[in-house]
Amino acid sequence: MMRVHIKHRDLVLYGSLAAGLIAALIALGVFLPRWLSTPPEEGAAQETPAAEVRKIRARLFYVAEDGVRLAPVEQEVLYGEGALEQAKRIVEAQLGPARPPLASAIPAGTKLRTIFLTQGGTAYIDLSQEISAAHPGGTTNEILTVYTLVNALTVNLPAITSVQLLIDGREIDSLAGHVDLRRPFGQDLQWVM
Amino acid sequence: MRRGLPYLAHLAVLLALATAISGQVSGPGSFTVMTREGRRALATTVVQGRELVGLNDLAAFFQLTVREDTAARAVTVTYKNRTIILTPDQTLASVAGRLISLPAPLTRQGNRWLVPIEFISRALEPIYDGRIELRAVSRLVIVGDVRVPRVTAQYETTGNSVRVAFEITPKATTALIQEQGRLLLRLDADAVDANIPPPPAQAPQGVLTAVRPAEPNSIQLDLGPRFTSYRMGTPTSEGASVHIVVELLAAATETIAIPAPSPVPAGDPLTLIPSVRSAIRTVVIDPGHGGDDSGAKGAGGTLEKDVVLAVARRARTAIEGRLGLRVLLTREEDNRADSDARAAIANNNKADLFISLHANASPRASTRGAQVMYLGLDRFGEAARQRYESQREALPVYGGGTREIALVQWELAQASHVYESTALANIVEKRLRDSAGISAVTVQKGPLRALAGANMPAALIEMGYLSNPEEERLLASGDFQNSIAQSLVEAVISFRDYLERGPASEASAETDGPAP
Repeated sequence: MMRVHIKHRDLVLYGSLAAGLIAALIALGVFLPRWLSTPPEEGAAQETPAAEVRKIRARLFYVAEDGVRLAPVEQEVLYGEGALEQAKRIVEAQLGPARPPLASAIPAGTKLRTIFLTQGGTAYIDLSQEISAAHPGGTTNEILTVYTLVNALTVNLPAITSVQLLIDGREIDSLAGHVDLRRPFGQDLQWVM
Repeated sequence: MRRGLPYLAHLAVLLALATAISGQVSGPGSFTVMTREGRRALATTVVQGRELVGLNDLAAFFQLTVREDTAARAVTVTYKNRTIILTPDQTLASVAGRLISLPAPLTRQGNRWLVPIEFISRALEPIYDGRIELRAVSRLVIVGDVRVPRVTAQYETTGNSVRVAFEITPKATTALIQEQGRLLLRLDADAVDANIPPPPAQAPQGVLTAVRPAEPNSIQLDLGPRFTSYRMGTPTSEGASVHIVVELLAAATETIAIPAPSPVPAGDPLTLIPSVRSAIRTVVIDPGHGGDDSGAKGAGGTLEKDVVLAVARRARTAIEGRLGLRVLLTREEDNRADSDARAAIANNNKADLFISLHANASPRASTRGAQVMYLGLDRFGEAARQRYESQREALPVYGGGTREIALVQWELAQASHVYESTALANIVEKRLRDSAGISAVTVQKGPLRALAGANMPAALIEMGYLSNPEEERLLASGDFQNSIAQSLVEAVISFRDYLERGPASEASAETDGPAP
């Protein structure tokens, strides 16, 4: 009686083990070839549906060596579908930390909340309050901060002709008291090397 | 937005002031209608103190048809397919479906229908294809593309000279021609709407006997026997107007240097050329930031708000002491003040000059040098400025109807002074380079918030970089602060010369308008 009982219990155990093993084998059979065949070659990546790694080259702006101009730097930026999404990717890249020889005119910690794009081609970049609160000041510096963002969008995206900065969804007078931000700005290469 | 509105607003002000000085082309009883084809008189009738004009006369001028509808008790005036409906003894009229108010009702006189002269500007102008401008004070009706600038004049006299400051609106280029016994200020215009008072009694006798319009487009200055020579200042533009100063010199016993005519300093036309000696009487210095807004911070702890206040105080003492000018600071203490409040201090005190002091910062510690900036608008800023300029407000008036009032646009008051501000920035830059011993000084224009509301020439000085350790020490030192203050004294002197003698004064003090 007892043995039968044990045998019966073992049977259930082996059965479920075997089922699990088969399932694992099937899973391996299906997925292993993919794992093995996906060393991501950049060229092939464009054709595969892996959209999240698709990139474009964009011109971003950093404080030049002389400290009073912006230097354009070609950089890879994530691809975004349409002008609005691409604008967000460009601004996010521009807000990121600058690689060592470069210096950014945008205060560290500034985050993109969102971008609104009007039919007329004006982009409203809504930023977190660090852009103002953590701004080190100085007229030249503030001008460079503003034109970093204005030029990053207008130079790379022809659909955007002017840019206005917002903080926490609100229109602002200025970032650090110098630049009149009550209206949108068009591209200005006066500040670019 | 309509072409006629600026003139209407101006007209309203003129009417309110009631400074009626007789017009040059027609007396009471008629208006002069000026068109490309020429001038014609439009007869008026005065009824109960109101000047009325016959609808049939207007119909002849403006291709209107007038139809009386006895059943509806109304008179319909039609221009093309647009209609004005008037009701006898009513001051309200319907103009293309919109109600307007007239200062007097539609009145019947014999078989004629009469309307107040304002019918032209309030009822006809809105539906007319071309421009119609009613200038009640000058008794003119200007139709179509005819340039008839207004010219006003003010006098100022000294011991042996008299200056006439002309204001021409809208702007027109001018030429001054000397002929036997007279000077002619000729305007590039079709006619002149002159409103010029006689020369003042205290003017030196026998120099200037009269100033009057001369056909077709000139202002004539009649010269007296003691007239010897004249000078003409550089025309300066301000808003829609251009200012020209002509100075007439009398034969004097001593031929000492006479102050050159001053192109009119920007500001209220009633305070034109306030003093013979100086085009600058009040200087406003604006120490940036303050209170909880420290501005830029140096690594050594120097704060921009403290440096700029210290320099502003030293500059005030230096300018007051050396030049005897009135100097105001936009903040006396370590307090916060917003940009518009600072501009308001300068505007309300009719300052002739606005200098904003700042210290810079850069993410690169090596960045150094001073910068002088003035307001520059990009095309979006320029578009905004034009929008503000065209913004008008319809205010209800006593007795019904509305009156168009032009808003004073503080939002971008600085935009109309860009020319002088550029000159100021260049002068300040030169003086800083010469005396403050700053290396790389540059002049740039930018969208500056601090200057936007200042209604006078204005510049912003970034004295140096607090993010640069060496410049931080410099900015905190009393010696350096004094040398900046001295540079500002020199800059004020140079800019005053520039205003009084024109752009060439920088190079030579003996330059001026055409030599007689």
